[in-house]
Amino acid sequence: MAPPVSAPKSASPSQPSGKSEVTDLKLQLRQLAGSRAPGADDAKRDLFKRVISCMTVGIDVSPAFSEMVMCSATSDVVLKKMCYLYVGNYARCNPDLALLTINFLQKDCHDQDPTIRGLALRSLCSLRVQNLVEYLVAPLAAGLKDHSSYVRTVAAIGVLKLYHISATMCHDSDFPAALKALMLSDPDAQVVANCLYSLLEIWTQEAANSEEAAREIETLYGKSIIYYLLNRIKDFSEWAQCLVLDLVSKYIPSDNSEIFDVMNLLEDRLQHANGAVVLATIKVFLHLTMSMTDVHQQVYERIKAPLLTLVGAGSTEQSYAVLCHLHLLVMRAPMLFSSDYKHFYCQFSDPSYVKKLKLEMLTAIANESNTYEIVTELCEYAGNVDVPIARESIRAVGKIALQQYDVNAIVDRLLQFLEMEKDYVTAETLVLVKDLLRKYPQWSHDCIAVVGNISSKSIQEPKAKAALIWMLGEYSQDMMDAPYVLESLVENWEEEHSPEVRLHLLTAVMKCFFKRAPETQKALGAALAAGLADSHQDVHDRALFYYRLLQYDVAVAERVVNPPKQAVSVFADTQSSEIKDRIFDEFNSLSVVYQKPSYLFTDKEHRGPFEFSEDLSNLAIGGDSGDDVIHSAQRYEENDKDLLLSTSDKEENGGPTHNGSSTYSAPSDVNSSLTSLVPSSTTQPATFAIDDLLGLGVPDAPALPPPPALSLNAKPVLDPGTFQKKWGQLTVSSSQESTLSIQGVASLTAPQSLIKHMQNNSIQCIASGGQPPNYKFFFFAQKEASSSFFLVECIVNTASAKAQIKIKADDASASDAFASLFQSALSNFGSS
Amino acid sequence: MQQLQCIFLLSESSGEVMLEKQTTGHHVDRSICAWFWHQYHHHHNNDQMSVVTSPTHYLFPLIRHGIVFLACTQLELPPLLPIEFLSRFADILSDYLCAGAGVTLNEDIVKDNFVIVYEVLDEMMDNGFPLTTEPNLLKDIVLPPNLVTKVLHAVTGNSSPSVGPTLPHAAASTVPWRSTHPKTITNEIYVNLVEQLDASVNRDGNLRRCQVYGEIQVNSSLPGFPDLTLSFTNPLLLNDVRFHPCVRFRPWESSQVLSFVPPDGHFKLMTYRVKELKKIPIYVKPQLTSDSGNCRIYALVGVRNDPGKTIDSIIVEFQLPPCITSADLTSNHGTVDILADKTCRWSIGQIPKDKLPSLSGNLVLEPGLDRLHVAPTFQVRFKIMGIAMSGLQIDKLDVKNMPANPYKGFRAQTQAGDYEFRS
Repeated sequence: MAPPVSAPKSASPSQPSGKSEVTDLKLQLRQLAGSRAPGADDAKRDLFKRVISCMTVGIDVSPAFSEMVMCSATSDVVLKKMCYLYVGNYARCNPDLALLTINFLQKDCHDQDPTIRGLALRSLCSLRVQNLVEYLVAPLAAGLKDHSSYVRTVAAIGVLKLYHISATMCHDSDFPAALKALMLSDPDAQVVANCLYSLLEIWTQEAANSEEAAREIETLYGKSIIYYLLNRIKDFSEWAQCLVLDLVSKYIPSDNSEIFDVMNLLEDRLQHANGAVVLATIKVFLHLTMSMTDVHQQVYERIKAPLLTLVGAGSTEQSYAVLCHLHLLVMRAPMLFSSDYKHFYCQFSDPSYVKKLKLEMLTAIANESNTYEIVTELCEYAGNVDVPIARESIRAVGKIALQQYDVNAIVDRLLQFLEMEKDYVTAETLVLVKDLLRKYPQWSHDCIAVVGNISSKSIQEPKAKAALIWMLGEYSQDMMDAPYVLESLVENWEEEHSPEVRLHLLTAVMKCFFKRAPETQKALGAALAAGLADSHQDVHDRALFYYRLLQYDVAVAERVVNPPKQAVSVFADTQSSEIKDRIFDEFNSLSVVYQKPSYLFTDKEHRGPFEFSEDLSNLAIGGDSGDDVIHSAQRYEENDKDLLLSTSDKEENGGPTHNGSSTYSAPSDVNSSLTSLVPSSTTQPATFAIDDLLGLGVPDAPALPPPPALSLNAKPVLDPGTFQKKWGQLTVSSSQESTLSIQGVASLTAPQSLIKHMQNNSIQCIASGGQPPNYKFFFFAQKEASSSFFLVECIVNTASAKAQIKIKADDASASDAFASLFQSALSNFGSS
Repeated sequence: MQQLQCIFLLSESSGEVMLEKQTTGHHVDRSICAWFWHQYHHHHNNDQMSVVTSPTHYLFPLIRHGIVFLACTQLELPPLLPIEFLSRFADILSDYLCAGAGVTLNEDIVKDNFVIVYEVLDEMMDNGFPLTTEPNLLKDIVLPPNLVTKVLHAVTGNSSPSVGPTLPHAAASTVPWRSTHPKTITNEIYVNLVEQLDASVNRDGNLRRCQVYGEIQVNSSLPGFPDLTLSFTNPLLLNDVRFHPCVRFRPWESSQVLSFVPPDGHFKLMTYRVKELKKIPIYVKPQLTSDSGNCRIYALVGVRNDPGKTIDSIIVEFQLPPCITSADLTSNHGTVDILADKTCRWSIGQIPKDKLPSLSGNLVLEPGLDRLHVAPTFQVRFKIMGIAMSGLQIDKLDVKNMPANPYKGFRAQTQAGDYEFRS
């Protein structure tokens, strides 16, 4: 993120060298300076034009500063404008010379013509020279009281410019208060908007250090000001409307009827010609209705049409930005868009980044009713001229297959892809078939029949090759020539450049060996030997590990390398829901376009304190004082992003209990098999003559000691700040869904009851909030005689009697024990 | 804070900086333009993102008429704000510098009038936040060059200030889009329905999707404070509508009529969308068969649901896949050209009465390739004057508050947008 080295201000080669030109201009200007001859203004104008055009192409014309100022005593408005432009550009680098301009600018601030007054004031404020600020105060004060609204609009922004040069001077002159008074009384909407703009920035910057400013900000977000602005919304220019709408999106109405009033008032903004206004309005609607699940869904229905129109009708630039927002909403609530799938069909002329977003959306909204149509469409893209998009489409088909229960037709389609005999299509498809088999082992027969016909030599891409090898290993009993294919691959070990493929090859040969030992023994020996000699550390280590494992005990080796596998029910998502929620909070901002929350990409110094308040700080701490809880409950709803997740978070419930990574990797496989060894499985697969092969005994697998019962510190201490920090640092170690007893649901009329109950179980609540039926709690607990904490986020829905639990732990190994403890405490709730 | 820190105008062809406008105390070095220019040429032109992250700033490029309008900022802001602003800026410049001159905006015009451009930009934005973007208001503050030269030059002979003599009183008025002292009045109003038809037909000839984006363009030149009401015979078919700020919302809500006080000159009264159309006016039937390194291509174009008006300027285009080494294409009507970027363009014009235009030929594949695995998409362009394909019809336009009845003109046209046939 280093700033680019600022290039020296050299004129481009095509430009004439600036030096002589500037000297020439200086000379001519000097001659004209005092001239009152007729036609002098015209001559000046030509000269000024030349100066400005030099400035524009990058020639430094600042040496002519004094001459320009001398010539500026004129009544010609165009001359004045050009002069202001020049002065504004060079004053910063020539603060001493800038003093020369003050005089005539100040004089112009008293001109009869309001246009001149306004222009002069704007230029005066744009000089941005530290030691000239004292000259700004009087003209600004006069400007704020000017009878022309044009001058007042300029002055309102001028105050902000002054603030950026000298904050103290701005405060000493009491300008913020004057702006506020003007904002609340001026008849001109543009003046009001500019005052608001300046005040927002000034107070936001101050709020971190000054309580008074923080209070002022509170007032801006308060009911009276919001209503005042909303009532005039149609008077404002479209840009000012964006500003006001942004303000309103942070307003917290006191009750539902107020929410409906605001929405009714703003509904026609959704039909504004300016897309920025439409998006700002949508943000208001989404944020206002956060706590009302039904209405929130209706809002989605209402905003769909304007968004789709903006995407289709706008310029390409516009349409991409809107599409990103649509993408965000679709990902949050795919069900609500399932009937609009046709809008996300790719057009030939769409740029590929647009196609990519559309493919993701099509994948997300596929359900029972539209899968057939969507998959048919996606299959047509596989023949697309644009190869990355063709690949992406095949992946999309695969993802849909992984989401759906009825995969019959999709598997057929995927297998048809393999028959296309196009290298990248085959490669992508192989990877997908591998993933599909992990989830739907019942399809193995159909897939293997087709996969078996693919020659491993025709596949070059490491991922695809690895997938094919994995299938050869996994289904070697069903594929006649698997050992021989593997053997030939092992023979070409040296030519295989990708370590990923070599790793898979090792594992596949092992698996094949367990099933068809006589045929594979030779290949295994060769593979282990090649692996041991491999220069890649991981390959070497794995080969060594397998070798020793086999030496130790072949049966154990089999259970480690090729245990019976559970079908993967859900593949983990790449983006955490927290990140998604954060982006949603920042709707109508660059975050959405980047698909990253702003704290990940914006510069610290430019962050306002408001955008980034952590949601925890909005929750009541400890939850003892009743007043606080009610207040914070509403604050909480503003931030609650999980309500709509019920439609979209199916991919999360499974959590990391299953194989987490979407690409198959052997080490994790080994880990999970090792743990499955512990309850010493009795089903030993049939083995034959393995003992003869390596001549080793079969000792019992050593039983791991049972995990010690977890006891919790009854009175742990953790302050909210530390909690917040820890929560941010740790990753979710366990995420589960639990059911509450009916008595529990009945007694959960307020968050307090559950908090008390958990306290009795040595689990403390640090923050809570929500309204029926949704409550959210943050709990923590500490392991007895240890410094390790457990942090829990628990979302309870009383309507469904379900609780979603996310646990983060300092000591991840104890997290399972804690999770069961927490669950049992939760399920006991209400019964005691 | 919602703030653009700098605006540059670059030439799209050479990357030369034509104009630089710093709006805040934060100085953006113009080396960013060189950086952007480099990026722009390394991407495929078509794939230019609407938001570009440079190492120091976020850039919003908008390319119109061979000019790159580039806004820079370091702050988080609603992405549509700069995009909308820049496109408004481009529109206003076109209006300012080219209206009535019979040319479209280009580099040279901007360079010749850069003082005006500076003046306009100065009024459109203060401290990086958009201010006045209503063309009528702006024209009161900064006179367009044509008026300056035409009117004032004739009167005074020499002096030609481009600053309006008076202030925009309309700023305080409740209808900011209407200038308080309109210039020449001809007492006429033209309403033009312009529709763009998007359709895609898949390999099997099924219509996958078909919709219309429409615009009602109005050119108004009416005296005083006219109050207009425009009604449609079939407003219910409109799927989603967006209005110019002059349109009153309530009458539309209650009875689907457009009630408004129009600005002077050209403006977009309403944009709308009609989805799920069932009929397309023109079809293409492409057939590609390939074996042993050759691909036979045959495509037929015809009218399907006769719109009742002539379909004009029909052009069929498709991209030859990269794996094709040579192509030999002929048609029985119109001309076939293969452009430098391997686009094959078949210009048909109008469909003759006696025969169906067809294109046939042979494509030779790269050595080693037996069959063609990719399927080109055929894009069609056409124009139909005198009809709006969505079926939307204007019922009547009532004019109130007018001393004399004005002349009213109505037109309609449909053109192809994304109109494609997959093979």
